[in-house]
Amino acid sequence: MQEIICLEKVSYSYFDKIPAICDVSLGIKEGERFAIIGSNGSGKSTLLQIMSGLIHPCSGKTFFKGHEVSESSLRVSAFLKFFRERVGYIFQDSDVQLFCPTVLDELMYGPLQLGLSEKDALDRTFEVMQMLNIENLKSRPSYMLSGGEKKRVAIGSVLTMNPEVLIFDEPTSGLDPRTQVFLLELIVALNGAGKTIVIATHDLSLVGELETRVAVLSEEHRIEKIGGPDTILADEELLLKVNLIHEHVHFHGQSAHSHLHSHFLFHRHQ
Amino acid sequence: MKNNIPEFLLKRPSSDSFEQGRGRIRMPFIEKGLYHLADVIKTGYVQWETAARDNFFQRIDARIKVLFLLFYVIIVSLKRDLWSEILIAVFFFVLTVLSRLDILNLYKRGFFLAFIFGFLIALPSALNVITRGDIILQIVHLSRPYSFWIYQIPKEIGFTREGVHGVMMLTSRVMNSLTLSFLVLNTTPFSEIMRALKVLKVPDSFLMIITLSYKYIFIFAKTAQDMHLAKKSRLVRQVSNSEARNWIAGRMAFMLKKTRIRCEEVFKAMLGRGFSDNIKLPTFKKLRAVDWFSGAAFFLFGVLFLWI
Repeated sequence: MQEIICLEKVSYSYFDKIPAICDVSLGIKEGERFAIIGSNGSGKSTLLQIMSGLIHPCSGKTFFKGHEVSESSLRVSAFLKFFRERVGYIFQDSDVQLFCPTVLDELMYGPLQLGLSEKDALDRTFEVMQMLNIENLKSRPSYMLSGGEKKRVAIGSVLTMNPEVLIFDEPTSGLDPRTQVFLLELIVALNGAGKTIVIATHDLSLVGELETRVAVLSEEHRIEKIGGPDTILADEELLLKVNLIHEHVHFHGQSAHSHLHSHFLFHRHQ
Repeated sequence: MKNNIPEFLLKRPSSDSFEQGRGRIRMPFIEKGLYHLADVIKTGYVQWETAARDNFFQRIDARIKVLFLLFYVIIVSLKRDLWSEILIAVFFFVLTVLSRLDILNLYKRGFFLAFIFGFLIALPSALNVITRGDIILQIVHLSRPYSFWIYQIPKEIGFTREGVHGVMMLTSRVMNSLTLSFLVLNTTPFSEIMRALKVLKVPDSFLMIITLSYKYIFIFAKTAQDMHLAKKSRLVRQVSNSEARNWIAGRMAFMLKKTRIRCEEVFKAMLGRGFSDNIKLPTFKKLRAVDWFSGAAFFLFGVLFLWI
């Protein structure tokens, strides 16, 4: 399979002082499920924003389908349209993503931008609303939605543009269990429909559930390892090093136990 | 779920390439504005970083620095000759060098602001129409003088020696005051400056409001940047200025709502931690010998500048 997104020795720092990403190289294949995992502040969101051309690396290059994505190339209107209609980004904070007066306007915004007729845009909107089960919210403003509803609308607002790549930043954070399950099923279904899925998370269960290929970011903002979910999740030493699992001490009666602990996967007594 | 996937989502774009065109997109004013907003965060970060270093001025207690700032602003305003202002400027420069601040950046900002708010604003007052005196640079020569109500326009219009001196004095005072403020701001964490204002008997409630407002500026700047990125991720063409204005208006309303909600949440958090009408901020530690010594040295230098 061809690589749809490719990063070559990408580095980024905030205010030219705080490093966020150091020398990251990776390739994501078309139609695959790919996860970037790392602890808080390791640079996951920055990496996703670089992939989606929202910010640009201080050094290194980003490619989408072999075309370089840079500040300059995104100023060419034909490439901007080509790129944005193929790459959709779902922010961690849905609040910042929803800027139209109502849910209906929000979902119609993307297709109208792409030049679809109002009828076609409306058709897409209703189909997506039906899939996400948010038809009853169509006339509501975004500030009158719950966290889970906002997430569904945010995803819907990107899906109506029918992107080939869907980039999710911490998709399940702050959602109730039912919405989390709904989202996982949705991601799997969208991948089944041919979409490339990229997620950033520190939720190891998500990696296990989605069976994604995984890139592990260290606290030094570098790629530690890229591999399949089984290989990565079995590497307790690596996960401990990058602060995704921790050593836990607790008491059983009078005796103390210590073991590696994750709230999702590892809870094995030694 | 799979069966629910709409038909259009199963379709792929027809082509993997795009038509190379010449159409280029100009950077919209909103983006430029947001770059400046990002500068707010950067400035805050740089200020925090330089203030945290362990250099000469950074080591001195914030109370001494606040009093130093006030004392020297008064001295700068009282001096009436240019040489004293230059001498004070050299003194500030030495302190800046000792504090290892980014001299180029600090003076660039100082000169820019002093040029606008000192030189340019005061420049018309150097004309003999406003300040009488010996003309050193003639600009216009009229056929005869004109009188209108209380105004008199002389035959020759130009810059006077007295007027230019006045402009130079004002510019140097603005420049010195700015350099001094930047020196203190870049060597003292904002929270310390706030607490130091207690020595000037500024009420605690007022300090609390300023501190919260200062923090909110950063939250506001970050949220605005994020909203812009979210919009950018769904933009596929050039945005017209009117569209950008509409978007900004909508987002301002959103920010207002969000601010109100955050304000309520912060207040609840304060209540949850025992807030009552009496705001109590932590008091300062005792001044160390080095603070007393620096304070005395600054005071003596100040007296010297007043005397000469």
